[in-house]
Amino acid sequence: MAPHLGQDEFFKSLGELLSKTSQQHQGSVYLTQKPLIDVPGATTTNSQPSILIRATDGNTNTPNLKKEGKDKKSQKVKLSTIVNPDEIEAFYVRYAEVCKAGMTGLKKRDRRGRKAKTKGGAAKVTKA
Amino acid sequence: MPYLPTSQAYLEQSAQLLQAYPDTTRIVTKYNFPTNRRGNLKRAYKSQVRKDAAKPTDAPSTTPAPPSAATATLTLKTFNPTTGICLHYRTNKAQEVGRLITSLGKLAAGADVAGLGLSAAVPAAGADVEMTDAPAPVEEVAPVAGKAQGQVQGQGQGQSAKGKKKGGKGKR
Repeated sequence: MAPHLGQDEFFKSLGELLSKTSQQHQGSVYLTQKPLIDVPGATTTNSQPSILIRATDGNTNTPNLKKEGKDKKSQKVKLSTIVNPDEIEAFYVRYAEVCKAGMTGLKKRDRRGRKAKTKGGAAKVTKA
Repeated sequence: MPYLPTSQAYLEQSAQLLQAYPDTTRIVTKYNFPTNRRGNLKRAYKSQVRKDAAKPTDAPSTTPAPPSAATATLTLKTFNPTTGICLHYRTNKAQEVGRLITSLGKLAAGADVAGLGLSAAVPAAGADVEMTDAPAPVEEVAPVAGKAQGQVQGQGQGQSAKGKKKGGKGKR
């Protein structure tokens, strides 16, 4: 398993992974968070465990028998980092920013459509 | 296991699950595009055709469908393996991402249901109810009542309900 990344490195790689997925308009990104219990290297302060954050592209490394030889499947992307309990807030502020910037494939807030609708409604009211 | 209808319900239930099993519960966030398996594509195409047929004037044929068709989804899942409890929430709105991730951070930090800051909406609603009961707005209504009919027409959709209410009170 690849070693855990530092936070800066993690965010950089995660941003790349997200924007790559968004640009291709296909694929997935899995983000997992779980507490680290009884693991050496994790600091535990006042019963608050560290949090392990993982990000993968969900690519399985099992070879596809049908496609074998045609195109080599790219390796699974795996990122992980450990967040200490006292860093959680600062980490999640950046995490949210990276996710917001990277997840561009989601539906944007449709301002234009709503405006047109209210305009139409107002026109109807004045007519009546 | 269930997909919860609102993000608030999801976050509250997740907070409870995390409180009950803080050591084993994990949260998975999945950001994905619909797959381009053949069946899936076919279904999407068919539904698009049906949509276009339903309202032919609305959608000009020059604008290509693919960018809107390939809307990604964000699925949040809180899973506890020992009990098998699994909570889901799914959205495709970009505006929710920031708030959801921040809430996940609060969950990770061990916040309880109250600590999420979501329940603030409930007291606020209560305050609104109290305000309608307060005498001040009633006094305001009386002189306006005569004009209420005209105002209903002039006002937008959101305020029209309020105008109607005022009119009703004035007649009484």
